[in-house]
Amino acid sequence: MDRTLVATVEDHRIALLAALAITIHIAESALPTPLPGIKPGLANIITIATLCLYGLRTAAWVLMLRVLAGSLLLGTFLSPTFALSFSGAVAALLVLSVARLTPGLGFGAVGYSLLAAMAHMAGQFTVAYWLFIPHPALLQLFPVLMTAAVLFGLVSGIIVATMLKHFR
Amino acid sequence: MRSSLLTRSDWLLLIASVALLPWLYGSFWGSTGGMGEEVHIMVDGRELPPISLSKDQTLTIQGSIGPSVLEVANHGIRFISSPCQGKQCIHSGWHTHAGEFAACLPNRVALLITGRESRYDTFNY
Repeated sequence: MDRTLVATVEDHRIALLAALAITIHIAESALPTPLPGIKPGLANIITIATLCLYGLRTAAWVLMLRVLAGSLLLGTFLSPTFALSFSGAVAALLVLSVARLTPGLGFGAVGYSLLAAMAHMAGQFTVAYWLFIPHPALLQLFPVLMTAAVLFGLVSGIIVATMLKHFR
Repeated sequence: MRSSLLTRSDWLLLIASVALLPWLYGSFWGSTGGMGEEVHIMVDGRELPPISLSKDQTLTIQGSIGPSVLEVANHGIRFISSPCQGKQCIHSGWHTHAGEFAACLPNRVALLITGRESRYDTFNY
């Protein structure tokens, strides 16, 4: 019995994109944050670009691999940070799936990026509130965090849209 | 052909997201902390019996350098006059929420509003 695991073209593509996303993720983790929970989320650029270029399946792989491998490399795997990152990624993926699979919505890179950023923030905030800090004072942070999500979602969306123009 | 960066749907979503933000601030920042019910006044380290915020009245508290006049009205309290120099206590205005704290330090008069739900857990100076 000779069984070999053949890496398809898509596997290579996923690996390459995930590596890019992980690199951005780790580089960004070195930046100081003004408020806990606020960071540019530049790895989102890779997720959205992948979604626009190769579709939902590849984007889901890249996103989940980035969260998993990123946390392993940063040493936060299965820590509260990971729980937040993971729940944010799952929420973003759910919203992106709906936005992608519902016909006739016509979102471009900026729309997907905004949706992903806001879903990520809302998802991880919900988990933070229910699991870690169920204190009403935390809710006061929510509008501030969502403002950051809209801002950074827009910025990375524009980066993706500009990037994709050079591909076409 | 030069295509624009944002599609029609992108613009609509962007406008909706930006419009959502003021609503978020309004609903999450508006009514948290809970309204105050009683005010605890401390003079020179001694605490007076708590006073209800629902009964409008004017209080004159004898502090260490003179009388401080406090007004209770509309479920809130404020300093009307105090013999201090800076008058920060008066400028701090109305205090209505549970957990709010105001003081005239030169006169050693301080007040703390309590309610069912406090806005702050603790203060540190």
